[in-house]
Amino acid sequence: MSGANLITFEGCNYFRQRLILATLSGKTVRIKKIRSKEDDPGLKDFEASFIRLLDKLTNGSNIIVNETGTSIMYQPGLLIGGKIEHECNTQRSIGYYLEGLTCLAPFTKKPIHAVLQGVTNDQIDPSVDMIKLSSFPVLKRFLGTDEGLELKIIRRGAAPDGGGEVTFSCPCRQKLRPLQFTDPGKIKRIRGVAWAVRVAPVVTNRIVDSARSILNKFIPDIYIYTDHYKGSQSGKSPGFGLTLVAETMNGAFLCAELSSNPKGSDKGPSVPEDIGKDTAKLLLEEIYKGGCVDSTNQSMTALFMILGQQDVSKVQTGPLTPYTIQFLRHIYDFFDVMFKVEPQQVSEENEDLRTGGEKLILTCVGVGYSNISKAVS
Amino acid sequence: MEEDGNQKKHRKRQAGPKAEKKKAKSKHQQELTPQQRNPKAFAIQHAQKTAKLIRRTQDIKTKKQHIPIVDRTPLEPPPIVVAIVGPPKVGKSTLLQCIVKNFTKQRLANVQGPVTVVSGKTRRLTLVECNNDINSMIDLAKVADLVLLLVDASFGFEMETFEFLNICQVHGFPKIMGVLTHLDAFKDNKQMRKTKKRLKHRFWTEVYQGAKLFYLSGMVNEEYQKTEVHNLCRFISVMKFRPLQWRLTHPYIVVDRIEDITDPETIRQKPKCDRKMSMYGYVRGTHLKNHSMIHLPGCGDYTISDMQSLPDPCPMPDKEKKKTLHVKERLIYAPMSGVGGVIYDKDAVYIDLGGSHSLKQNEEENEAPMNELVASLMNVNNPLDQKMTTSQMTLFSNTAPITEADVQEDDKDDDEDEDEESARVRRSAEFNATTNEKQGKQTEDLVFDDSDDEDDDEPFNLFSNSMKKQTVSNSDRKKKTGENKDTESNSDSNSDSDSEEDELASKKPKLSRTSKSSDSSVTGAKVTPSQKGKSVNTNISPDGISDNSDSEMEDSGMEEDDDELEGEESGEEEEEDDSGEDDSEEEREEDEDEGNLKWKTNIAAAAAESFKRRQTERINYRKLIYGTAEVEDKEEDEEDELGGLFKVLKKKDEKNNPQSSANLTDSSKCVPDKLQNWELEEIQDLIRDCFVTGEWDKSEDAKARLEQDDELFGDFEDLETGEVHHGEGEDDDEDDNNNEEEDDGDEPTERKKTKAEKTATERRMEKKKKLKELFDNEYDMKGDNEFYDSWKQANEEQAKLNRAEFENMEDSLRVGYEGFRPGMYVRVEMDRLPCELINNFDPSYPLLLGGQQSVEGNIGYVQTRIKKHRWYKKILKSRNPLIISLGWRRFQSIPLYSIQDHNMRNRLLKYTPQHLHCHASFWGPITPQGTGLLAVESLTGNEPGFRIAATGVVLELDKSMQIVKKLKLTGTPYKIFKKTAFIQGMFNSILEVTKFEGAKIRTVSGLRGQVKKALRNPEGAFRATFEDKILLSDIVFMRTWYPVEVPQFYATVTSLLLPPAEKAAWTGMKTLGQLKRERGITAPMKEDSQYKPVERKKRYEPTLKIPKDLQKMLPFKDTPKVLKEKGDPYKRVAVILEPHEAKVNKMMKMVKNLYHHKLKSDKMRMRERVSKHQKEMDRIGVLKSRKQKQVKKDIYRALGKLQKKNEKYKKD
Repeated sequence: MSGANLITFEGCNYFRQRLILATLSGKTVRIKKIRSKEDDPGLKDFEASFIRLLDKLTNGSNIIVNETGTSIMYQPGLLIGGKIEHECNTQRSIGYYLEGLTCLAPFTKKPIHAVLQGVTNDQIDPSVDMIKLSSFPVLKRFLGTDEGLELKIIRRGAAPDGGGEVTFSCPCRQKLRPLQFTDPGKIKRIRGVAWAVRVAPVVTNRIVDSARSILNKFIPDIYIYTDHYKGSQSGKSPGFGLTLVAETMNGAFLCAELSSNPKGSDKGPSVPEDIGKDTAKLLLEEIYKGGCVDSTNQSMTALFMILGQQDVSKVQTGPLTPYTIQFLRHIYDFFDVMFKVEPQQVSEENEDLRTGGEKLILTCVGVGYSNISKAVS
Repeated sequence: MEEDGNQKKHRKRQAGPKAEKKKAKSKHQQELTPQQRNPKAFAIQHAQKTAKLIRRTQDIKTKKQHIPIVDRTPLEPPPIVVAIVGPPKVGKSTLLQCIVKNFTKQRLANVQGPVTVVSGKTRRLTLVECNNDINSMIDLAKVADLVLLLVDASFGFEMETFEFLNICQVHGFPKIMGVLTHLDAFKDNKQMRKTKKRLKHRFWTEVYQGAKLFYLSGMVNEEYQKTEVHNLCRFISVMKFRPLQWRLTHPYIVVDRIEDITDPETIRQKPKCDRKMSMYGYVRGTHLKNHSMIHLPGCGDYTISDMQSLPDPCPMPDKEKKKTLHVKERLIYAPMSGVGGVIYDKDAVYIDLGGSHSLKQNEEENEAPMNELVASLMNVNNPLDQKMTTSQMTLFSNTAPITEADVQEDDKDDDEDEDEESARVRRSAEFNATTNEKQGKQTEDLVFDDSDDEDDDEPFNLFSNSMKKQTVSNSDRKKKTGENKDTESNSDSNSDSDSEEDELASKKPKLSRTSKSSDSSVTGAKVTPSQKGKSVNTNISPDGISDNSDSEMEDSGMEEDDDELEGEESGEEEEEDDSGEDDSEEEREEDEDEGNLKWKTNIAAAAAESFKRRQTERINYRKLIYGTAEVEDKEEDEEDELGGLFKVLKKKDEKNNPQSSANLTDSSKCVPDKLQNWELEEIQDLIRDCFVTGEWDKSEDAKARLEQDDELFGDFEDLETGEVHHGEGEDDDEDDNNNEEEDDGDEPTERKKTKAEKTATERRMEKKKKLKELFDNEYDMKGDNEFYDSWKQANEEQAKLNRAEFENMEDSLRVGYEGFRPGMYVRVEMDRLPCELINNFDPSYPLLLGGQQSVEGNIGYVQTRIKKHRWYKKILKSRNPLIISLGWRRFQSIPLYSIQDHNMRNRLLKYTPQHLHCHASFWGPITPQGTGLLAVESLTGNEPGFRIAATGVVLELDKSMQIVKKLKLTGTPYKIFKKTAFIQGMFNSILEVTKFEGAKIRTVSGLRGQVKKALRNPEGAFRATFEDKILLSDIVFMRTWYPVEVPQFYATVTSLLLPPAEKAAWTGMKTLGQLKRERGITAPMKEDSQYKPVERKKRYEPTLKIPKDLQKMLPFKDTPKVLKEKGDPYKRVAVILEPHEAKVNKMMKMVKNLYHHKLKSDKMRMRERVSKHQKEMDRIGVLKSRKQKQVKKDIYRALGKLQKKNEKYKKD
């Protein structure tokens, strides 16, 4: 039976997508040629760590990795959830694992309560702040409420050594709601978090000032929280950064962030003012791209749209990122669902509005997915 | 006065024109409701009573409410499945024939398989007869929308009827209509009426009160009475149906036609090879996706290898304003019964020319004398051409061997000549969205080279397979449809590629779609009937390169092909996204097209143009996302070898190799390569209006709206003063800013400017009115079930959106987005089906395709709540195999029954409880929670009694199960201290004991205790404490729970694969009991369990031992008298006497005896004497006492006299 359900891929890119979709669709996945031509072949530690996290999250999964780690076979079990504790590998930040977790969390048997330890902020992955600020509002739309949806940063740990800790909890649902979200409305406020660990507290103020210097030209309602951690809460390595989020009238959140170069990086130490300015520019870029979900959450939105009932879901986004495009392809591989992607038609009278780049409308019909792990009485 | 008295009183006209006139004049207007007129009458008199009443009305109201669901019924629904069910000999076939005749005026002699008829202007029916097999009943109950349950009135209800009703109940209750037949068997009218009534009430208790029961009285000419059938049909055609949960979420197809499309050659070689089959039917339920998982009940799980939609063979009549159907519209479609004449396939049309003709042909073929030589040739396993293809030739050493495939590419013309020779019918390609999307995966489908054609020659196969059908060639069909004008060029499908290319270039608009083969030769242009209409619309570009950027605005859907010049690409995708202009993409693809020489002529111009377009044009996202993945064509040629042994792996150039992205970092964060320069004012202005501070669009902009409002409502004329006010934007700005609530104080002053004429009271009144309205809207108008209403409304909106979203889209494209929607007639191809399915095919058994989610194909533990059916005679035993019908499937599994204790522990049960629900856990397919299931122990109908063993519902799914059974460990104390005891026999080692340290134990007498610590000696003994001192004779036990594994057994019921005679008797795993019964094995008896005659031991009474000290203290009489041991009499030495001594001895004995005798007689005499003396003494004593008495009497007398005398004296 599993033979018909087997999908084969090559290469380690989009590793998470494949495993997540396999878990949700129940299809077995085989990934071959993982870094087979590199000097250091096979799975990296962080990928192995992700697999271990999946193993904790599921019951009855079967994972076979070959000797060199260049090939993996994953036969998914059923999602269990419940209390999970995971030591995330520090090669990637917690965001890497948390993104996977949020995709699976609504479909577990018991509501998830995860404690993740590792790097909370780095330069590669979305940080936990970003997930909290921009992914959770999206998740909330599918869940209906944000009751029980929580992400708490207990300790902050910057790259490369980490030492951070977050708790993540998410309720589980039998079915998700369809999403109709094509009008984000106008941006009403900008919020943000400027964080710093193991550096002088003044750094955060410098970041805030420089970011405000750019953003103030657009909107007056800006508030950036400064978040300086001390002592045991501040992880193992120094760092600072800024996460900015623009909230629109209809509850869309566009998020951008930057963090300082990790200790020992060859780029040298970062300047707080640069971080502030660059983040502000990144946010403007994100606003230029626009959409009801920002570029990081496109894939998650697409996933939850197809995992709804057999109803049409619609969402407006900015231009699709390569990651999303690949995700849509994978969705097609696993669920046989295609998205209708077309540019949004701008009405005649609104043509002269300066609202940034071209917007896309993603439309799809849900597959009628329901949470098969959750027990009914 | 008299006159007055005689005069009649005036009587008003009650009727007639005059009365009406009056009535019209003085119309009574009731402006007040009774409640308003007489409020006291409606006042609440009794609070309790009213409260009860209100509660009751609310109860009734809420009972009527159902959980609103999104209405997903398609606009053009599939035919309604009407299942005709009943025990044998009840008149099912006759009824089906009568219904068909009623609708189509045709008489079907031999009905096999489903029959689809048009029943009305908006409805079609698929009639299926259900045979008397529980497998068919189960399958049909899952798909039937309406069940006609036939009951033989002369006999009454049969077991099958009840079984079927129960099956229906489990799998979502479809509409059920009872039909009583054989009513003419009753001679007595009263008897019939009574029976009718009895059956009706029994039927009502099973279905629902008031369920429709039809009576078919009597037969006329082997048919039911026309009027009665007509009435029944009218009932069917107006019936409404409730949506059923399972079918709303799962697509399914009732197969009405099946074809084996395996290569006949492979069948000849291996008659038992796996088959490729195509099945036809209407999609029902929900959208069915291509390549999705399918379950064939009675066969197994498969995936759809391909799927196309076909034109409806039994279309709904045109929407015309007519009362009745036209004769031409009374269609019937029943391919399995051989009705329907024309059959459409994806690439051909078959016309049934009648049975006799084809039969003759068959016979001829069979009877033809087999030439031995021919026969031997036919039996060659590997034909020559196949050998050719497999053979290899190596030209040079170190190079790959050349196979036939390589040669084919080189000389295509030759191949095409071969094609001509083989004279096979050319297959037209089907282009729908799915093939398009799957370009990456299935390039073969799109590539039109001949090597491909050889692979899939289905028409040929069909032709040879089914001799009944006459293939109408593709070109003929085109002629018929009248779409293709130049039939000549197309009709000879054998034209070589060059000429074809030319033709294709000229008739481009008719071609639905181009596809590009890697080797630049396009040899096919195929039109599917469904796409023809659309393809005609394609713009015909005059010639040359059409300017796409110009045409972009006008035709968003259609696209022009700029490659026409080259004459190489023969069409264009007209199923492009509406705005999707994607020439840049195509050109990029072309860049890789190396075989094209013509293209190179204007390479520079094209490159420049494409660059320009890339800059300006939009991206076609559909192609970008789902388009062809660039094939990794480069073989690893540049492999360096080290010493001829090891390969040196090189990282390829990242830019050139598309595959290199396979190992990049995996991150969802998209960091743009280059930021725009946000310092610049112009760049900043690009997003100025994204903020609330920017400009708003017209519909939302407060200012613009105000202006609009003023134009409409701003002008007014004050009637009192005659002044005319003209609304001006600036004046009314604040008024309509709908912030009345905020600043109550300011408002009047502001208004004074504009509406100065209004008095303060008026203004106040106005304001109050507004506030009241607001309040009403918020509270009063909402009604009681506001939540329910809003929920319902949201669902309705969703349903509207679902319908509207893809409404105007072309079918081929739409299918890609939402799958094949219900109501479409489709052809489903499946690979690797077992040959028995077609070999043992019996149309009287329904063949279904049940679609399912990919998760549902997996297996896991299913926990269900189950109850043994009260009509089932036996109770069910754990670990006895059971046949379960769940979801689409029927399978055998081994359930374990358990019951949940209060602490959520699942305790194993050996048997199902009699009248109680319990849990049943088994290894089976993952099916969504809440799905009903049904269990039978055997499928064969030869046992009397009710067959359905249990019914239930799925509760939970998991990959592991926690079921436990009770296990009591026992031990015995061997040493007892005060409250501590040493206990042995419970465990075997110290390790075991340590595992149970602190565990609770108990004695039989009920003393509770605890395991303390293991003892070294004996092994497994431990120290335990109790709440009181225990006895040495106590048994100590510990209650533990032992996990039980659910057996991982799951076997699909493959009833469809059995030969027709055995179909109804599928037997899977047998129970142990069955096996034993079959083989005559009795259960093994333990020696211990056998009964033996009771042997009672003799009671042993212990001797009383008294200690010596005690003995000493006792009085002598109580001391045990220990007699001196007598010497053993036999141990004495035997004395043999001398004769003299013996004489003496004898003498002595005699003397002794004499003496003894004398003593005895003396004693006797003495006793006599004594007794005599005693008597004498007694007699003397009596006399003596008498004398004494007399003396005493006298004395007392004298004494008395003396006393009297004394008293007398004293008195005196």
